[in-house]
Amino acid sequence: MVEKYDPQMNNLQMLPWFDDLKQKLNLMDDAEVVEHRIGTSASVHLLYINTLIDQERLNETIIQPLHRSTGNSLASRITNAKVSEVISIEDAEQKIMQGFILLNDSVNDQWLGVQLENPLGRAVEPSQTETVIYGAKDSFSEQIDKNITMLRRRLPITTLKTESFTVGSLSKSKVVLLYIDGLINPEFVYLARKKIESVDFDQFLDSSQLAAFIEDHHHTVLPQFLQTDRPDACAYALGEGKLTLLVSNSPFALIGPITFFHLFQSPEDYFLRWPVASFLRLIRYGSFMVSLTMIPFYVALTTFHYQMIPLPILFVLLESRSKLPFTPFAEGVFMIITLEIIKEASLRMPSKTSQTLGVIGGIVIGQAAVEAGFASKVLIVLMGISAIAFFLVPNYQVTKSMVLMQVLLLILASFLGLPGIVIGMIGILAHIHGLTSLGQPYFAPIAPFYGKDWKDLFIRGPLIWMKTRPKNLKPLRKSRKEIKK
Amino acid sequence: MKSLYNRTSTFNGIYFLLLINRTQMHYYVLIMPVYLVHSYMIWGIVVMGLLSQLNVMLLSKWFTSSYAAKGYQGFLQLFGKRMVQVFAIFGLLIILLKISILSLGYVEMLHSFIYPSMDKKWLILVILLISLFVASHGMEKTLRFVVIAFLCGAWILIVFIPFFFPPIANYRDLYPLIPTEWSGQSWQGLLFIWSAYSGSVYLAFMVPWLSSNKKITKYLVIGNMLTIIEYLLLFIATILFYGSSFLSKINFPVVYMGSYIETNALDRIDYILISFHMFNYVFDISILLLCFYGAIRVIMSKMNERTTRIGLLSSWFVILISIILMNQWLWQSVPGQKMLLNIQIWLGAFIYLLVPTILFIAVKRKESI
Amino acid sequence: MVLYKHYGILVIVSLMWMSGCSSPFVENNMIEEIAPVVFWSVDKGAEGKLKISTLVPPLIQEEKRLLSNEVDLLKQGGKEFNLIYYRELKQGQLRMLLINEELAKEGGIEKLINTILVDPDISMRVYLLVVRGDFDEYIKNQLTKQENQDYFLYRMLEHYEEHNQGEMSIVNIHQFMKRLYSPLKDPILPVFHSDKNNFNYVGTAFFQKDKEVMVIQDVDDEIFQLLDNDHFLKILAIPKLSISLGRIRSNVRMKLSRDYSSLSLHVRLTGRIEEYHGENNIQKEEQLEQLIHEIEVHLEEQTSDLLKRMQQWKVDPLEVGTYSLKPFSKEITDEQWMEYWENMKINVDYDIKLYPLINVERLL
Repeated sequence: MVEKYDPQMNNLQMLPWFDDLKQKLNLMDDAEVVEHRIGTSASVHLLYINTLIDQERLNETIIQPLHRSTGNSLASRITNAKVSEVISIEDAEQKIMQGFILLNDSVNDQWLGVQLENPLGRAVEPSQTETVIYGAKDSFSEQIDKNITMLRRRLPITTLKTESFTVGSLSKSKVVLLYIDGLINPEFVYLARKKIESVDFDQFLDSSQLAAFIEDHHHTVLPQFLQTDRPDACAYALGEGKLTLLVSNSPFALIGPITFFHLFQSPEDYFLRWPVASFLRLIRYGSFMVSLTMIPFYVALTTFHYQMIPLPILFVLLESRSKLPFTPFAEGVFMIITLEIIKEASLRMPSKTSQTLGVIGGIVIGQAAVEAGFASKVLIVLMGISAIAFFLVPNYQVTKSMVLMQVLLLILASFLGLPGIVIGMIGILAHIHGLTSLGQPYFAPIAPFYGKDWKDLFIRGPLIWMKTRPKNLKPLRKSRKEIKK
Repeated sequence: MKSLYNRTSTFNGIYFLLLINRTQMHYYVLIMPVYLVHSYMIWGIVVMGLLSQLNVMLLSKWFTSSYAAKGYQGFLQLFGKRMVQVFAIFGLLIILLKISILSLGYVEMLHSFIYPSMDKKWLILVILLISLFVASHGMEKTLRFVVIAFLCGAWILIVFIPFFFPPIANYRDLYPLIPTEWSGQSWQGLLFIWSAYSGSVYLAFMVPWLSSNKKITKYLVIGNMLTIIEYLLLFIATILFYGSSFLSKINFPVVYMGSYIETNALDRIDYILISFHMFNYVFDISILLLCFYGAIRVIMSKMNERTTRIGLLSSWFVILISIILMNQWLWQSVPGQKMLLNIQIWLGAFIYLLVPTILFIAVKRKESI
Repeated sequence: MVLYKHYGILVIVSLMWMSGCSSPFVENNMIEEIAPVVFWSVDKGAEGKLKISTLVPPLIQEEKRLLSNEVDLLKQGGKEFNLIYYRELKQGQLRMLLINEELAKEGGIEKLINTILVDPDISMRVYLLVVRGDFDEYIKNQLTKQENQDYFLYRMLEHYEEHNQGEMSIVNIHQFMKRLYSPLKDPILPVFHSDKNNFNYVGTAFFQKDKEVMVIQDVDDEIFQLLDNDHFLKILAIPKLSISLGRIRSNVRMKLSRDYSSLSLHVRLTGRIEEYHGENNIQKEEQLEQLIHEIEVHLEEQTSDLLKRMQQWKVDPLEVGTYSLKPFSKEITDEQWMEYWENMKINVDYDIKLYPLINVERLL
């Protein structure tokens, strides 16, 4: 702790809480206590953590006004920043750790806190995880205030409410709950508030960790909150009747309540023309189904149902498979795991070596595996299509969880063939159907059936048809049209 | 732990449509053409369908009454505790028989076509396991599952449309259009159709979860009509494909027809069709499993206590054991199978006749007092 | 309620209990361990047995050979092949069944075909062929010259069936059995001739119940294709009149009199003249008309002759019997229909519309 006292002043022992505060800031090299003499007989003690405050503005905001104006109370001299009173020592501790500068007002015998946070942070950059060609390119950053600015610019209405909470005994993360009052069903807000207030953990480094505590079902592979770093997606969700949670130091916002089908929507769907967007969405759903069931289907056909394969293809398959030592199931598992290893490795590798990995991966999986006799040519082709088809799903978490579902279907296919795959599908569908997100059913609008919402389900209907908000969100104002007089 | 029989929201009328349709489309539809060999039985399907419409209207009167919405309490008010327990005991046996015939029928089909040498016990176990999983989500979620079952099961019908076009179809096979001779077998055919429509009678006990909106009659009628159209479509397709005299010699005509369809990418589509048909059975068995557990609770007078996992598991286990025993002793031999099917047909027809009438009369009586 | 660990325990307990019962998986259908056969050829063997042959290994690039066996029952043959060849031979992909004409003439092939029909492993689209001569010789000979003979035969049959090409009658098991069991129809099958070097289409065989009674060839067969099979023929060559008609579509109307004593068959053909070697100058309209009239007369004669032979042999492959079905009256039995059919007076009328491919002078 760095202490700088004016040698001519000697009224330390008259300051309340001073010693307690100094005790709390013990062994912190970046904590500073500076005494400034004002006038002839008065002095002001400034207490702050110099890594948390904006040092450039310290001089012009606090020190110079203090020296310049005389006679008035301290609080009225500082006009450039927000000044608030410090009530208790816990308040003082909290404020000093949030980047406030504490100064004592010996005239009124109180401590004041001046907010002067360090603005260090990332500039507004395009999103790395969700890129669009048309559409806004700004994305959230780790500074929660900037994020709120971006959202408020898109929804400049007074009914956009921001409630803030603090969670995490160590990280003291600020969580802001945003919703449009009068539009959103108050049940969701109440539920979210209750859940956030009951969270008890030490650190929250990312919004997904907060989601892990407030979601309804902990032991499922599917997320119940949508994580996005695009402010336009958040604003759209708020306008539909959902709520958003922003967590400090995390660029990803949580949106809820969502359904399973929101995981397949990309913001770009709403910027393209509707037949094109519908086609792309259908391809997304199609590729999800295909990539999930293609390898299990292949294993089922080659293990149990050789009668289903048309004769010309059987020709090719028999040729390629007759020299392999492994069963189709073993081959399938081996290839899926190898593909996952390569995907993970390419994430962790430094960028300079990732190109080498691409080449090795291609050669290892492609050519060498076939020639060494580990895999058949048909399976390599199917694996390639399936791997690429996985990435069509916009949500990264779903992509990763699909691999688990694929392995489950593969095991069932190797035990029971085609009926096994259907049993797996029934199980997965029943499981998804039983999930809820903030209390709302996860598989709406299929089950429960909301006919009107199907315009935005598998296709993206024209915007002129979307007159109502989604029914599963139970909004207070159902129609999107404002009556013009 | 949440109760299995919670109600959190009401459903729209469309659920009635789907429920009626799906509870009537299972095993019977596959063996129906064998019972109604002749082409004039098309009128049989239509006539029975219209009678079933009348029955459905009777049921809809029950649905809109206030007693139905109260569930168990409503039954107590109408009949008194003793009678309800007696009904529950009968219902238990009837439900057990229905679940058994459904599973055994489907397993028979799987066994004949896809896995001829697999031991049937495994197939029975697997189907019952997945039904238990679906049922464990609770009555409300299982009822909502009908939408998924409908979407995944109804497209099978579209695959049969090519059978209506020549040269496979020879429309002269449909002649004669009116019955020129009538035998005991024809009466049995009519009874069979009536029993096939009887799946919807279980909906009478699920009114607390479905809304008692006044406009549901429309949906019920449409649902029944949809079933009639599906039966007609499949039956006419089989007659056009096989001709009446050949038809009487095949045991699963609809499935064999499925194996005739050829596409560029795959042959033997019937494997996929049989597998997807499983959705109907799993849905039905889950609903009936929950009804079975409910009936046990009524008999043991435990309606006010919470539902337990052990309770559901043990009722499931009882059903599993009884199906396996039935398979072992009765279903394996042809006379035993015939006897079981006949009992089920007669019982099904009987309850479809009785239950709506009894409920209707009871409500009218209470209202007039 | 959805507690996965309880399901885990349940599954383990069930598995333990079930392991007391027999193992679930008995058949091994794994694709690299089986050899699915593509055809069976059934011939008459010694002492009333059947001789079954098939080609192994099917579809793989290995040395092929023909396996033959004399057995009493079809499936017995299938089983005995497994004892000869190292891979298990499976019938799920059976695509063709070739029956020797001797067997077909004897009758009794219904039982053979029924075996294949009721097997759910085998699809109903198996092509049935009647073979005149020795198919095994042909295959043995071709083993060295062309590979995958079985596969190419199947592709040929599939090609002609697919778009109703009309060159050959292609019949699959379902069509055969449907006609066999229906009371007022009689089945047909294509006949192929096979010797050491050739395998070619001969004509169509008519069956009465399951016994072959007559075979029609050449022009008769072509007329039959027009009348019943696909109503389309690519080329109809009439050497007597030195003319080839092409791309012919036919439209057949049959009218049966009320008391089933006479039938009037009205055939309308539309096609084009593709080749003419005769002397008439068909560029002139009247000569063209004359030629068309001659063709009509010729075809009417041939057709009447064919129908008379059908009546003699008491077969009804044209399904004329179905015209006797009326919506509101009882159907007549097979025997009654055969009586009527034998004594029926048939009146054939052709109406040919031809379009020449060269310019026809138009008279002013």
